[in-house]
Amino acid sequence: MKIKASRERKTLIFKNTMRWFIYIVIILMGFTFMMSGRLLKPVVLIPVSICIAMNTKELQSAFTGTFCGFLIDIACGRIFGYNAVILTIICTLVSLLYTNYLRKKFINFFAIAFVSSFISGMLDYVFYYNIWDYENVKSVLDTITMPVFAYTVISALPVYLLFMLVNKFLMPERHLTIAEAIKINREDNSQ
Amino acid sequence: MKDFFKSIRFRIILGLLAFLVGVMLFAVLEGGYAISGKSLINTLTYPFRSFSNSVSVRVENYLDKLSNATEYYNENQRLRDEIGLLRKQMSDYEQIKSELAEMKEFVGIKEKNPDYEYTEPAKITGYIANDPFKSFTIGIGSNNGVQPYCPVVTSQGLIGITVDVSADSSTVRTLLSPDLSVAIVCPESLNSAIMEGYINSDGNAETHLIHLPRNTKFMVGDKLVTKGTGGLFPSGYPVGTITELIPSDNSLSYTALVEPSVDFDKLTSVVVIKDFSGKENQNEN
Repeated sequence: MKIKASRERKTLIFKNTMRWFIYIVIILMGFTFMMSGRLLKPVVLIPVSICIAMNTKELQSAFTGTFCGFLIDIACGRIFGYNAVILTIICTLVSLLYTNYLRKKFINFFAIAFVSSFISGMLDYVFYYNIWDYENVKSVLDTITMPVFAYTVISALPVYLLFMLVNKFLMPERHLTIAEAIKINREDNSQ
Repeated sequence: MKDFFKSIRFRIILGLLAFLVGVMLFAVLEGGYAISGKSLINTLTYPFRSFSNSVSVRVENYLDKLSNATEYYNENQRLRDEIGLLRKQMSDYEQIKSELAEMKEFVGIKEKNPDYEYTEPAKITGYIANDPFKSFTIGIGSNNGVQPYCPVVTSQGLIGITVDVSADSSTVRTLLSPDLSVAIVCPESLNSAIMEGYINSDGNAETHLIHLPRNTKFMVGDKLVTKGTGGLFPSGYPVGTITELIPSDNSLSYTALVEPSVDFDKLTSVVVIKDFSGKENQNEN
């Protein structure tokens, strides 16, 4: 663990502010992308929110999930709050998993994005199509739900790379102030 | 991990989830009006969505031309070279001309139905993502007098109804949706039926007439217009043309496939009918 002067707190605050600003810009870009055009599109805000949840604490992750979920609800014409509930739960779980069990590796992220997209897609299919027993409803699964799921999983790769780039420059490292370092050092010596 | 479930953070997240469920229930009970948070986000993001949508539609149109290049080539082989250059020069002019023609027809409709109260032509600001029924959003809302369940039309005919109205934008549910039933009539034979959207076996949304009796008088080629008896739509608006009559499995009834009079993929602007004679206020029901 490095020992740095306390003036670096300003750098830390600046980096955190910049990082969250860029996160929000990416979220809004994802939302704008989802609202554009008539072709099938990936639900990019799912991997985006997971990427953010990987690097943040539970509360921040939960609120990020809520925000992204609200935007998905608007983009996909769903009941306001429906995707927000789903993503809040997913993001909190992701944050807990990364805090306690998982390492920040692409394979872990990819597996989580895969499972989350699948759960989100299937819930959407069940609640918005299957439950109403529309004619030929299974064709929606083949022509809409599964392609969108596939696109979302594929979109996880560029999203991950983008966040890796942002975090590389703006993720603050854990530094100690001199006072904290002396305190820890004293505690170690006394033991 | 166990500490987390006993912490205040966990309780805050549970509170947040309860709040979200409340928001969701509130949104359901709003009766077609968007709740204020959604209106705010819609208003704030309107210029970005409008811009990016216009770019996307152009790119998609370009991709569509590319993917069907062989078909277009065969069809236009002799003429393509000759008209290619002219088409480029004329594209802007044609766009403006078609918009002008559309406007003129809107004015014509207005003159034909003086008791109808129309909005100004509204641009399409975005499409509902991954929706098989081609729902879309328009750039007018309750500030322009639009209410939930108002008919949406173009000069070609009926498109659908407004379902999710916020201050400056509204979502339009199209005729392709199975959730929208329209009473129609053939003006020549005076036969009437119910038209609904459905999803065909290829996963595409289409419209059809349901529960036609075995001795139905409907025929392929019949033009259909709204009947106007339900109070949701004004009478006499074109909705489509019958393309095929299909007997049911037990041969006791028929289903008629209908080609909508409006091409939902080529819409640029629409008009909302705010009021018309015979309108029933859906919100009061």
